[in-house]
Amino acid sequence: MTEVATDGWFWVGTALCAASLLICVVMTFLRTFPDDLSILSVAAVELFLIVYGVGAIVRQAGGEPLQGELWEFWGYVLTALVVSLVAVVWAVTDKTRWSNLVMAAVGPTIFVMLYRLQVIWFG
Amino acid sequence: MAEAETHERNKPRRNQGLGRILVMVYAVFALSSFARSIFQIATHFEQAPLAYLLSAFAAAVYIVATLSLARSGRTAWYVSVVAVGIELVGVVGVGLWTLLDPQLFADDTVWSRFGAGYGYIPLILPILGLAWLLAHRPRVGVESRP
Repeated sequence: MTEVATDGWFWVGTALCAASLLICVVMTFLRTFPDDLSILSVAAVELFLIVYGVGAIVRQAGGEPLQGELWEFWGYVLTALVVSLVAVVWAVTDKTRWSNLVMAAVGPTIFVMLYRLQVIWFG
Repeated sequence: MAEAETHERNKPRRNQGLGRILVMVYAVFALSSFARSIFQIATHFEQAPLAYLLSAFAAAVYIVATLSLARSGRTAWYVSVVAVGIELVGVVGVGLWTLLDPQLFADDTVWSRFGAGYGYIPLILPILGLAWLLAHRPRVGVESRP
């Protein structure tokens, strides 16, 4: 991977994604049902994305330049918001141990999308 | 013998338990490859028409695979096998192609270099998918349950 400028948003998001991945994987071993902690960890990622989105609106309205396409950026933000929701719905409709692992997929996925967002933002 | 039958009946169906994760990962790939290919075709199709058409085709295969893997029933099983099979042929074929003749595709696709740009998940996914499908073949009279 090439060197990409990163900011505090990216690192906070990365930490939340990593924590969510860790919690969900651990819960896969410990629980035979979708654990509250797994759901809460994904909810934390979702909450971060909402704050990130609102923050991006404010920053862009304030005139911060975007290197990439505007609609590609918002396409990623909206998709990321949907991914977490879909994962939780898909996970809890089948209450097994593996529901936790389904939710574990959210962290890495959102991390990749945050990385892409950094590339679009900073070029 | 009776015990084995009970076990068979209690065995999670292919879109439950571990199968849910497979569907989830497929869904992520379907969504991202679809969005990416729409973006490529809408903004700079003329730069690499062949690569972007292939991206669109790959996205379509992922969408079909996601939907059929998520569904129960015999037909869905056969559709899944075909879609995942095409995906395997696609990623190996395009992977070899990009290796032997890198000039052919002017831009990367999800299947280029055996999916290296996506952590080789596009190569591993169809193998896992086929293994899962073969381990959960539809049985006569069983899959017709609602």
